[in-house]
Amino acid sequence: MIEVEHLSKIYGSHTAISDVTFSVEEGEILGFLGPNGAGKTTTMRILAGYLPASRGTVRIAGFDVHENSLAVRQRIGYLPETPPLYLEMTVEGYLYFVTRIKGVAAGDRATRVKAAMERCNLLDKRHVIIRKLSKGYRQRVGIAQAIVHDPPVIILDEPTVGLDPRQIIEVRNLIKNLAGDHTIILSTHILPEVSMVCSRVTIINDGKVVATNTPENLMSELAGGSGYELEISGEAALAKQVLQNLPDVSLVESIPAIGSNNMGNHNRVNLRVICVPGSEPGSNIASALLRTEFELYEMRRVTATLEDVFLQLTTEEEKFESETDPVLAESGDVV
Amino acid sequence: MGIVINNIIAIYRRELQSYFVSPLAYAIAGIFWFLSGLFFFSILQDILNFVAGWDLRGQQLGIPAPPIDVPYEFIRAFLDRIGWLLLFILPILSMGLYTEERKRGTLELLATSPITNWAVAVGKLLGVLTFVTTIVLPLLVFEAIILGAANPPMQFTIPLLGHLGLILFAGAILSLGMFISSLTDSTILAAMITFAVILLLLFVDLIANNLGGVLGEGLSHLSLLKHYSDMVKGIFDTSSLILFLSYIFLGIFLTAQSIDAFRFQRQ
Repeated sequence: MIEVEHLSKIYGSHTAISDVTFSVEEGEILGFLGPNGAGKTTTMRILAGYLPASRGTVRIAGFDVHENSLAVRQRIGYLPETPPLYLEMTVEGYLYFVTRIKGVAAGDRATRVKAAMERCNLLDKRHVIIRKLSKGYRQRVGIAQAIVHDPPVIILDEPTVGLDPRQIIEVRNLIKNLAGDHTIILSTHILPEVSMVCSRVTIINDGKVVATNTPENLMSELAGGSGYELEISGEAALAKQVLQNLPDVSLVESIPAIGSNNMGNHNRVNLRVICVPGSEPGSNIASALLRTEFELYEMRRVTATLEDVFLQLTTEEEKFESETDPVLAESGDVV
Repeated sequence: MGIVINNIIAIYRRELQSYFVSPLAYAIAGIFWFLSGLFFFSILQDILNFVAGWDLRGQQLGIPAPPIDVPYEFIRAFLDRIGWLLLFILPILSMGLYTEERKRGTLELLATSPITNWAVAVGKLLGVLTFVTTIVLPLLVFEAIILGAANPPMQFTIPLLGHLGLILFAGAILSLGMFISSLTDSTILAAMITFAVILLLLFVDLIANNLGGVLGEGLSHLSLLKHYSDMVKGIFDTSSLILFLSYIFLGIFLTAQSIDAFRFQRQ
C-alpha cells in the first residue's frame, strides 16, 4: 500500500534522511521509531506530499506522491506534528470543514463527522470552540481530522504526544481498531507504543533505516533473546572473564546498580549476561560463580525489551568508539 | 469543476467565519466607520463653505456664481478619501491570510488535502473581499443622504460605479497583499512589505503624473489609483476593469506558485 524507495531529503548541506526504504502492506500498522531529530517528521511529510523528496520515490496505493499528488491526497489522512486546527472553530464545524476540503460527498458528511467524533470520544465537546480545549482534546481533534473522510491510508506523526496515560491507551486502542480497513503508519519515539500497537516496526536513526521487522523478531534476533542480571561481590573484570567462557553466554557487561540495595557497598557489582537465543545457562552461571568464590546476592532472568534493541541499534557508533578505549569500555559501557 | 467550486466555497466560508470572531476585524471596521464619518462631515463642510464663498463673491461682483454640482463633487471627494483610507487598512487585512495558516500549521492540512493552491487562494481572496465589501456598504447611507437632497436628482450609477471601483481597487491590493503574506511566516513583516509595495505604487503614480510623455502615459495606465479615481468620476472604461482584474489574477497566480515553491524550501 505504501512503498518507499531510496528516499533522501537534503536541506542545503544537512542531510535529513538518506536512502530510506521500507513498505507497508495493506491493513498493516507500521511503527516508525526513532530518537528525536532522526528524520521521522521529514519522512512523514514526504509521505503526505507536503515536502518533495530530494531523491527517491514514494508510492501510495500505486500513485506516485510527487507526480500524482492529487490522487494520493484523496487517499490519505494525515496528522502532522502539530495538529492543524483552526482555533476559532467548534469541533464539529472544523470537522465539517475538513470533510468539505477532502471531497466527502455532501450527503455523507454528517455521518462521517459523527463517526469520527464517536471514535475519538469528542461527542460531548462537539460544540466547544477548539481554543478552549486542552492539549489532549486538541490532539484528539487532530486524529479525528485524519480519519473523518475514511481514507485508506492514515499517516500519524506522534499521535499520542501530549495525552495523559488514560487517553494514550484510548488512542492506541483507536489506532488498533482502525487497522484492517486502513493502512496506518505512525511515527513515535515511545517504545512501548510500538510493541503494543504496531504489527511491524522500522527503526530510523540519524536519517537512516537501521532495522525493519516485527517487534517480537527484533527483540529476539537483535538483542539475542533473554539474559540474566546479577549482583555479585568481587572483581568485575574477573567475573566477566569467568562468565564469558561459559557455553551459551554471548555477552557479559557491567550495568549500573538498580535501586539502592548495594549503596555504600562498593565491593558489589552488577552485571548483565546475554545468552544465546533458546539456551538457558542459568544454573551454569550460578555454579560457576560459586565455584570461583564470588558471592551471589541477586540473579534474575530478563527478557530484552524493545528499548534494548532500540538503544543497541541507535547507539552502535558510540559503543564502537568506547570499545576501542579499554578504560572507557570498563567504566562507561552502559546500555 | 464542481469539486473545485465546492472547495473554494469551503475555504471562503471558513475565511469569512474567522472575521466574525476576530477582535482585529471588529477594531478595523470600527476605526473605518469612525474615520469615514469624520470625512463625510468635513468634506460636506468644505464643499458647502466653498459654494457659499462663490455665492458671496458673485453677489459682491454682481456676476452669477458658476454652477457647482455639489452631490457629484461630494461623492468624488468622499470616495477618493475612502480609497486612501483603505490603502492603510488593506495590508492589515491581507497580512494574516497565509502567515496565520503557516504559524498554526494548518497550511499542512490544506497542502495535503485534495484541493489545489488556486482554489485556496481564490477562496481566501473572496473571503477577505467580502469582509471589505461589508465594511464599505454602510457608507451608502451617507451617499443616500446626499442623493436624497440632490436637486435635480442625481444618477445613481455614479456612486454605484464608484463603489464597484472601490471593491475592484481593494481586490487588487488584497491580492498582492495575499501573495506577500504567502512568502513569509511573520505577520508583521507581511504587513510592512505590503505597505512598502503600496508606497511604491503611489510613487509610480507620482512619477507618471509628473513625467508626461510616452513613459508617463504608459505608467499612468498601470496606476491603480488613476483608474480608481476615473471610476469614481463616473468614467467607466473596460481597460480599468481589465487592469484591476489583471492585478487580482496576478496576485492569485503568484500566491499559488509561491505556496508550491516555498513550501519545498522550508523545513
